[in-house]
Order: sequence, then C-alpha cells, then structure tokens
Amino acid sequence: MGAAVDHVTAMGMSGGSAEGNDKSQGQRFSCKSKLTALVVDNGGVCRAIQTALLRSYGVDTEAVETGEAAVELIASGATFSLIIIEMLLPFMNGPETAKQIRAMGSQSKILGITAFFDERDQQEFLAAGADDFIEKPLSPEIVIPIIRELDN
Amino acid sequence: MDRNHLKRQVDLMKRSLFDQGYLDEQFIQLEELQDDDNPNFVEEIVTLFFNDSARLLQNIEQALVSVPIDFARLDNYMHQFKGSSSSIGAKRVKNECTRFKEYCTAGNAEGCFRTFVQVKQEHAILRTKLETYFQAYISFMCVFVLVIFALTYICLLFCLYLFSWQDKLDHLGLQEVKLDDYMDEGGSLIIDLYYKYDKAHMIE
Repeated sequence: MGAAVDHVTAMGMSGGSAEGNDKSQGQRFSCKSKLTALVVDNGGVCRAIQTALLRSYGVDTEAVETGEAAVELIASGATFSLIIIEMLLPFMNGPETAKQIRAMGSQSKILGITAFFDERDQQEFLAAGADDFIEKPLSPEIVIPIIRELDN
Repeated sequence: MDRNHLKRQVDLMKRSLFDQGYLDEQFIQLEELQDDDNPNFVEEIVTLFFNDSARLLQNIEQALVSVPIDFARLDNYMHQFKGSSSSIGAKRVKNECTRFKEYCTAGNAEGCFRTFVQVKQEHAILRTKLETYFQAYISFMCVFVLVIFALTYICLLFCLYLFSWQDKLDHLGLQEVKLDDYMDEGGSLIIDLYYKYDKAHMIE
C-alpha cells in the first residue's frame, strides 16, 4: 500500500531545500546524529502517530501519557534531544510539565502541541520554557526542519 | 475478480474519500509510515482511532445531558477528539469539532447539541467508508499475494525440471553437459538437452 503521490517535501523554516526527502528516489530523510525524542500525550492515536513519524526519520523515540511520567523519566537521568508535549494533559498540563523539565536543567528542544491553537496557550507554553508551539497534526513539514536543526 | 480490477476499485475508493473531503493529506502521511516493519500501520491506527473516539463521543454525550453542563469538561473531551481526528486526516470530522469548540467556548448549549449531531454523523460515515475501503484493500492484497506465490511455485517447478535433466544425462554416461554453459541461451536450453538425451538413448 502507499499512495501514488510524491512524498511530501518539507520546506524548512529557513526555506532550505529538502534533498533526500523524495521517497520516489528510494531515500527517506534520516538524521545523521543519534537523536532521541520524548512524546508526551494522553491520546493513544496521537502518541502512536507522532512516535512512528519521528522513528521514521531515525529518531529514537519514547512516549508517555502524562506530564508526571515525563518528569519522572527525565529525573531518572534520561535525556532527549526533542520533547513534544501536548497542551491539555490530565493533572499536570503541558506548560507545567515544560516548566518542571526546564527546572531540572534540561536543554532539550521543547515543542508544545495542541488540537486547537490558542494564543494564550502559546504564550503560556513559551513562558514555561517551550521553544515552539504548534497545532496538530505533527507533519514532516514541521518535524524535518527541527531534526535538521538538532542534527547540526 | 482479477487483480487489476481490484486495484482500480481500491484506488477509486481512496480518491473518492479525498475528493469528497472525508480525508486530507494527513492520511497520506500515515500511508507513508506504513512499511515492511509496520505493514498494517494505517489499519491499526484507524482502528485505534475509532475505538478511542467511540469512548470520547460517549463521554461528550453524557457531559451534554448533565445538569448543569460542564463546558470545561466538554472542551477537554473535544480537544482530545479533535487532536486524534486531525492526526489521522479525518477532515470533515475535524471541521465539525472546530464548530463544536466555538459553541462550547461561548457556553452555547444548543449550538453544542446541534454540532454534536453533525460530529457523530460525520464520524459514523467515515467509519463506514473506511471499513469498506480496508475490506477492498485486503481483498486486493490477498489476490496479489496469491499471484506472487503461484509465480514462485511455477519458477520452482521449472528449476526442478531443469535440474532433473542433468541427472538423466549423468546416468547415461554422456559427456557432462553443464547447464551453466547454456544459461544464456534461454529457451533453447530445453531443446538442446532433449536432443542430447534422445541421441544418447538411440546410440544405446
């Protein structure tokens, strides 16, 4: 199975080219360095898709359901190049999770993600230490520039 | 039903889902994630979506009939539902979720009720269409796999037949005929071997 369409080419935020992205040439973009990621989302579908997407680009990815689990994981010594945190998590929400992760000294790139984009949520997330805030779905156009940046 | 006909049917169904706005490009991203390591990824994710969303829709329905309506809770449920809908590319469902959110934010119960009917309707339609699509796809894949097996089996029989000639020639004490010598000659291979065997038999 596979759509008879070209692989979506990502235009990086800097407008860079997306060489190596064209699946029709038999090559899929993959990170050069050993990158790791953590997905924090209480929705099973979103967790599964985001994890699969990151892994498809060679990023070693783990997923947890709650902010508490994410904080616990990082407190135990795990480090991640990228952490993607859903805005509305049960108990400890996304911005609070980001705040606690930053308070532990984590230098990871933190991406806040949400189903409904809201400027107040964006401000809250960025103030908590997130580097960016986007609306779902997580797509190659968003992921590839981030991976390139972390790779360099 | 032949393979090509099935493939055309599957392709037409998928195109129709996109043309009618039921799915968007995010569904293509899911297909891109399907490979040999995850051969059923799309179907698994879609199944997970419909299992999860059934629960969420039930929660929303209960929240809508509670007195007073807890709009914050409704908002939370719809947030999760919209997140997963957009992640699988369920375009129409996602759009109805956005309309619901607007009424929910405004505290408009009647608006929430009305749009929730639309949400459930679009969800049910998409479920039916995707079930039909996956059934057709599975049928096509079954036929495809059977054809591959049949071709492999035929090739194996052909190879066994060729190597059995080598044994017969050796048994007659003929000058060893190396099959490799004839490999490039393709179809003439069988005719040459038969000729040598028959000649040797006549000599005996």
